[in-house]
Amino acid sequence: MEHEAQESTLPVPPGPGTDAATVYPWREALLRAIGELLDTEIPAGLPKLAHEDFTSLHRAAEDMAGMLADTAAHSRHDVRNQLSALRGYGEMLAEQLPASGAETLDAPLQRLLLATRSAEDPASLDVESGGGITIVGEPGFILAVDDRLENRELVARYLSRCGHSVVTAASGEEALVILGQADVDVVLLDLLMPGMDGHEVLQRIKEHPDWHATPVIVISGHQDMQGIIRCIEAGADDYLFKPFNPVLLQARIKAGIERKRWHDREEQYRQQLERNEQFIRATFGRYLSDEIVTDILERPEGLDLGGKLREVTILMSDIRGFTTLCEQLEPTEVVRVLNRYLGAMTDIILSYQGTIDEFIGDAILAVFGAPQHREDDADRAVQCALAMQAAHEELNRQNAQEGFPALHTGIALNTGQVIAGNIGSERRSKYGFVGHAMNVTARIEDVTRGDDVVIADATLQKLRGHYRIDDSREIRAPGMDGPLHIHRVLGDLP
Amino acid sequence: MKSPCILLVEDNELGRDMLSRRLDRAGFDVVTAADGEQALQIMRERQPALVLMDMSLPVMDGWTACRSARADPRMRQIPIIALTAHAMANNRQSALAAGCDDFATKPVDFPQLLAKIRTYIPT
Repeated sequence: MEHEAQESTLPVPPGPGTDAATVYPWREALLRAIGELLDTEIPAGLPKLAHEDFTSLHRAAEDMAGMLADTAAHSRHDVRNQLSALRGYGEMLAEQLPASGAETLDAPLQRLLLATRSAEDPASLDVESGGGITIVGEPGFILAVDDRLENRELVARYLSRCGHSVVTAASGEEALVILGQADVDVVLLDLLMPGMDGHEVLQRIKEHPDWHATPVIVISGHQDMQGIIRCIEAGADDYLFKPFNPVLLQARIKAGIERKRWHDREEQYRQQLERNEQFIRATFGRYLSDEIVTDILERPEGLDLGGKLREVTILMSDIRGFTTLCEQLEPTEVVRVLNRYLGAMTDIILSYQGTIDEFIGDAILAVFGAPQHREDDADRAVQCALAMQAAHEELNRQNAQEGFPALHTGIALNTGQVIAGNIGSERRSKYGFVGHAMNVTARIEDVTRGDDVVIADATLQKLRGHYRIDDSREIRAPGMDGPLHIHRVLGDLP
Repeated sequence: MKSPCILLVEDNELGRDMLSRRLDRAGFDVVTAADGEQALQIMRERQPALVLMDMSLPVMDGWTACRSARADPRMRQIPIIALTAHAMANNRQSALAAGCDDFATKPVDFPQLLAKIRTYIPT
């Protein structure tokens, strides 16, 4: 008895035209679907049968991925058996799912079933019979929408022979359901359909937040240029007139897939940038104003946080008699008073685009002009100091209400060169400042009384606005070479 | 009522597990064999209501097993549905010529296969 030659059970030998993508054109689409399924966690409380199916499906999917990773070691026969088992388990699970309420599993499972069915399609297995001109491109997942069965079959057969995975829909409604389930690369859309027509499907796709970037190629029955123009205006990416040249179809599909991949990569890149930005904001946001952080993010070269000599205006503040205050109050009360004070001061400093270097107990050290220099650094520092003093009225009203003593703060400013950069050890470092100008500020702070704002002459020289000044004098401080000329600032000139 | 017994002959272990489980859920009592010789032995001893036979089997292939079953009066009346890979043309005629009663292609469309089984085993 004679029967046909059996399918070879030998592994596909390596050689020209036998690489995995040529032998199994659906490989990539299936691997994607498998990856998605394997990433889905097993839902808790799955009924026994569904759980059993999920486990088998998982194993079959893993083995399938293994076979596809090393196609040279497995025969087509084995691959086909594996594919068939994979689909079988998937269908069994799909039958169990409605009763088990595991919605998270539904979408990846449907996509896997689509991919296996598409892989099992005889047309997609029969690549040797291709022939003619073939445009080589990345294989994609194509949704072909047409109300006529013969058209759907024709397109499906043709495109799967070119290596694409094809799923078809017989109506607009069906197309929308598939778009919801699968990650479609290109939609091939017939315009003339009963019920929901191509124009409406196109509009729905372009309005949908997840689908609007999916390229749509519209197909028109007659040379209806007006209709095509309407579609392009509505967001269609390309068009074809029936009967279409199959090579032209291939070329347009290829362009569509490239467009989709490009968009996907761009989207990924955008998300990465967003994550970076969130990280930088979280890292610097506590010390720098929002505006400075935004500025840093928007500079293409980024900000060099290495050591740099910069001219800055330094602000140092201290609560007068803080030690006495600590002795009068309970520790929890001290923290309460201090946090309210530091919170209010922080808000003011950040609102004047100052950079807070550190808090030392009740003392605040802030800098204007780093990481970013501005022409009005000294002016902003002075205005900031005045605003800090002005804020004491409200703070002390609250303190009095709760029975706490009033706070009186002295604020000193100095302008000079400092080294700004990430300073510290490898384990612990922060953006900070060192230099003689820092020490000078501390000396001025030592002689500043409560409620006063005292500035060094160096700061006064940099001021562009006009302020009321009094009590100008010279001080001599240990470690200072010469006398230091300082002024008290009373406020802006009216 | 006792469930009707189906003999599933399939050499691929995973495929055998999958299909037997599906048949079990559809309400059949399933026994399995991995080659033609085993299949003939089970057919003689268990007298299943129906046989699903993969045609490409090791030891003794499905074609030979089918012809042997048809030549044996103890197995002649047991319906056999051949399962073959759809890539092969003319398999239907070959299967019928070998004595099979019906024919289904792999990968199996389960609802279709179930419908075929039910024409031989009315519920």
